[in-house]
Amino acid sequence: MLKRSEATQAVVNRVNDDTLMVASLGFAKYDLFKAKDRPRNFYMWNSMGMGASMALGMALAQPGKRVVVLQGDGDLLMNLGTLATEANQNPKNLIHVVWDNRMYAITGKQPTATAGKADLAAIAIGSGFDKNKVARVETLAAFEKAFEQAWVEEGPWFIHALITDDAAPKERPPKSPTFIKHRFMTDLGVEH
Amino acid sequence: MDWPQKITTMLKRYQVQFINYVPDAIGEKLLKLMREDRDFHLVPLTREEEGVGIAAGQAICGKRPLLLMPTSGFGNAMNAIASLNIPYRIPLPMIIGLRGALGEFNPTQVMMGQALPQMLDAMRIPHFEIQREDEVEVLTEGFLRVCYSTESPAALILTTQLAGWKE
Repeated sequence: MLKRSEATQAVVNRVNDDTLMVASLGFAKYDLFKAKDRPRNFYMWNSMGMGASMALGMALAQPGKRVVVLQGDGDLLMNLGTLATEANQNPKNLIHVVWDNRMYAITGKQPTATAGKADLAAIAIGSGFDKNKVARVETLAAFEKAFEQAWVEEGPWFIHALITDDAAPKERPPKSPTFIKHRFMTDLGVEH
Repeated sequence: MDWPQKITTMLKRYQVQFINYVPDAIGEKLLKLMREDRDFHLVPLTREEEGVGIAAGQAICGKRPLLLMPTSGFGNAMNAIASLNIPYRIPLPMIIGLRGALGEFNPTQVMMGQALPQMLDAMRIPHFEIQREDEVEVLTEGFLRVCYSTESPAALILTTQLAGWKE
């Protein structure tokens, strides 16, 4: 049994201040904020499907920094094609984590395609990810082991985390999109 | 210089590095030059919307992306632009090869082609059409300047008057 809150905490405990992180719309961003608010957390309030794509862009633009995306299954299912682009671009600094609770939890627990027949780890491999860098995990110990391997090895890594259907924490990340962006860019020391 | 060379040269002058694209016959005239130029990093997309996300990630990391796509692709990209670039104030220069306009042979292109300016207007996105060779440089430079000064999307539309139509 893997809880998103515990796994998110394990991620923020392992990354460092240099790491760039994206959390998708839905519950992923709430758990990331509660685990640790950092200037280099980019919280997505909308733009369903774009979580992994943003992380891919960051990884290409900052090849010397680790990029971690925490994304729900619904967010990835809306934009499966981006897995093929990730695999083809092959950024060695990207760790792609999917929290798969098999439901659109934030809108009332409607089932996603992974509640039926779709398998995101298999889709990642079919999209071109190295099968040795795709992990499917169901326990905190297995998640921590996979994330540690992803952290010390070259990527791109895809971690398919089968999680429980826990609700999100009550805490909310900053709501101002421009604040989120400017804080991120200022900390990174870049301008447009 | 012909128009693809003029546009490519201006993109380089403004340090546009990442070319996120879905190809079309007009865009290919630029891509042909970009593939042979080590200053550009090409990212072929599966769908234009994905390119909005990728370009946003590149832009907030201090690099300058382009989204190069056909007219139909703007429809695929709209919600991401509306919910990401506009509220977060992330610049997005778009070069759009125009279909469904002057000389169009394919009726299935016409709705999006005719609606494109109004869709851009509805989202308050500045857009500029290139129709003649002698306006390529000023419009390319001008659209990039607007994009960066507003930290928002802007579009440069390559018309059939400039690029020719498909038979």
